[in-house]
Amino acid sequence: MKHAWKGTVAAAVMTAALLTGCSSPAAPDAASGPAAWPSQSTKLDGVTLTIWAAQNSNKTPQSVIDGFQKATGAKVNVVTIPDPYEQGVQTKVATGDKPDLAFWQPTASELTSLNATQTLQSLDGAPWVSKYTAGLGDMTGQLNGTRYAALVSSPAVEGVYYNKEVFAKAGITSTPKNWDEFLTDARLIKGKGVTPFYDFGGGTPWATQWWVQVQLADAAKAGLWDRVNTNQEKFTDTTIQTAVDNYNGLIKEGLFNSNLKTATFEDQGKALLAGDAAMTVQVNSFFGQLQAMSDTKTLNDKIGFFPISPKGNMGTFIPDQSNALVAFKTGDTNREAAARQFLEYWMGDGYADFVKAQSTVSIQQGVETPSTVPDALKAAAAAVPTSVGSMQALAVANPDLYLNLGDMIQGTKTPQQVTEATQQQFASLAKAQGAKGF
Amino acid sequence: MTAQLSPPRSRTGTHTGDRRPTSRRRQDHPAWFLFPALAVLTVFFFIPTLFNFFYAFTDWSSFKTQINFAGLDNVTSLLQNGSLLADLRTTLIYAVLVAIFQNLFGLILALILEADTRINRAARVAFFVPVVMSALAVGYVFRAILKPDGTLNAILGALTGQHVDIAWLGSTTWTIVVVALIHAWKWMGLSMLIYLAGLKTISPDIMEASRIDGATWWKTFTSIRFPLLAPAITFNVATALLGSMNGFDIVQATTGGGPGGSTELLNIFVFRTFGQGLFAQATTMSLTLFLMVTILAFPVIKFLRKREDVLS
Repeated sequence: MKHAWKGTVAAAVMTAALLTGCSSPAAPDAASGPAAWPSQSTKLDGVTLTIWAAQNSNKTPQSVIDGFQKATGAKVNVVTIPDPYEQGVQTKVATGDKPDLAFWQPTASELTSLNATQTLQSLDGAPWVSKYTAGLGDMTGQLNGTRYAALVSSPAVEGVYYNKEVFAKAGITSTPKNWDEFLTDARLIKGKGVTPFYDFGGGTPWATQWWVQVQLADAAKAGLWDRVNTNQEKFTDTTIQTAVDNYNGLIKEGLFNSNLKTATFEDQGKALLAGDAAMTVQVNSFFGQLQAMSDTKTLNDKIGFFPISPKGNMGTFIPDQSNALVAFKTGDTNREAAARQFLEYWMGDGYADFVKAQSTVSIQQGVETPSTVPDALKAAAAAVPTSVGSMQALAVANPDLYLNLGDMIQGTKTPQQVTEATQQQFASLAKAQGAKGF
Repeated sequence: MTAQLSPPRSRTGTHTGDRRPTSRRRQDHPAWFLFPALAVLTVFFFIPTLFNFFYAFTDWSSFKTQINFAGLDNVTSLLQNGSLLADLRTTLIYAVLVAIFQNLFGLILALILEADTRINRAARVAFFVPVVMSALAVGYVFRAILKPDGTLNAILGALTGQHVDIAWLGSTTWTIVVVALIHAWKWMGLSMLIYLAGLKTISPDIMEASRIDGATWWKTFTSIRFPLLAPAITFNVATALLGSMNGFDIVQATTGGGPGGSTELLNIFVFRTFGQGLFAQATTMSLTLFLMVTILAFPVIKFLRKREDVLS
């Protein structure tokens, strides 16, 4: 028996050694310069492209795909990656599975987490970049000076969605011009017996972080995130801590809905539309939720949008996954070129159809925004050029600030613990990336 | 209790093979027969486990292509992070609660459905259905039932005639108990089945003797049947306790670790860390869990096996 065991152990060790040798998760790829841009209608018969999309973006490219297939003879498949989308994609890419294209947040932190320099095609020299309205091309989509993401729709903006009827009933005729006026209005509305603010701590409390981020807009303009990125300033330092404390103070003051701990994202939309609450600090996807519950005319009558920051009306932009696409280095030069051609078509001949089919704001000069786009969305898009980047857009990593704030709402973390936990996670992410100062 | 499995051999036999029975037994199954099974075991079990050890000491992340050795870096940073210990504690509480509830429900069901009547057989099948259901589906169904405007509150409201909106999954203290109950509900059918099988192995003679002695049902249960169920209890408690330490799906689907992180099992933390791209740190955490399960498994199983001594 002894000898047989020795044999099996030896075999096991050898198999293990062999498998270890060939299990490096992603083979390194030489970085290359800007690639050539083929003509939009180059024939692509027999080429099949795969696009990864999330559950809320898998219908977005349909009109573009139809047009592209007709124009080039290529076949384009959309594969839905289940939520949480970002985690799913990251895991697949880390183990070597790649599509040709994928929806992806065009922010530096999210491009870093995909290991953009190694896995993504450079989109430098893309013909559509010069046609972006209001310098959108320079605001996002790049990492260390190289363009990796193609922005296809107006980036989301953090700001205040408000119920116009509630404002009118409270006698408020113009939207607040800064944070103090914003709070004055809220207290006025509370005095009339209506809940001023609605947020949700039940389910995944992802909107909690907007409350902190809009308060950081002016600081962000002054380089807050550059200092955080180099560890010269921490989440636990005064600037961010104060924003968290203020948010907690507003909750304690009773300016939020009484069911804050258990309310969900769905409840938030219903409450604002019904006028049970006056305001929510939210992003564009919240408005998408309202659009699913109501029609454009009702929304134009009832819901408005204004950006807010401590000193004025500066918005905080946060491009999300449905706003942009990235193209992967797959190793197949034909498909890589076809992927670039697809993006070129999307932002070229296919763009007018796209904004019409999606009823979204055009971000390209010469393409009109369809009349079916609700006013609040137009207002959000109008706020983009003067906006400053959010934590997701400007920080090197995206810690789970929202979860920690959710814990604060539930009472399991103090405001100090929120910033401590966030800083800790931020530091370990920054360290893993090799950021200087960590 | 020992059993004679091989036929008695003549000690004075002249055959060479009979002189060395052990060598003959070895020839019954040549060692190389083991290779297919061993290969599968190696590829799908040993190597992943080894990798779990190996990657825990590297800086593997989604941000870099190379994987470098990082020593105890992950361990130290995890120990500094309060979440790890808090989540280990949550995991342990959850596992103990599940083990208690699942075995209690399973045993009660087995005692109720012991007799082999037609109704009982149908009821056993009904209670076994959740075992084969998808854990995520169970989680989502319960989330819908337990939400403030969900079915349970509607039923309670109809019974009491008042508006009820209790947030069953909203308490930072009691939600872990609710989630453990859901986990136990899903798996109690399996415990029931094993207890039923255990009850069937008890000799009718002993039961008859106790009846003749005039023992009550409760006395029979506490003094005879429960002690004799020891092997079933060993299996059920060990699998429920150690299995739910690895719990993830039901909690993720019902609370996602909330409210306020009060149901955040270690595996949910691992999932979150992995999702952030910190693969090596996530591996270190799962190694911690592996160690905790191992450390816990030995004394628990030893204690439970000790109880089985009554059988011998």
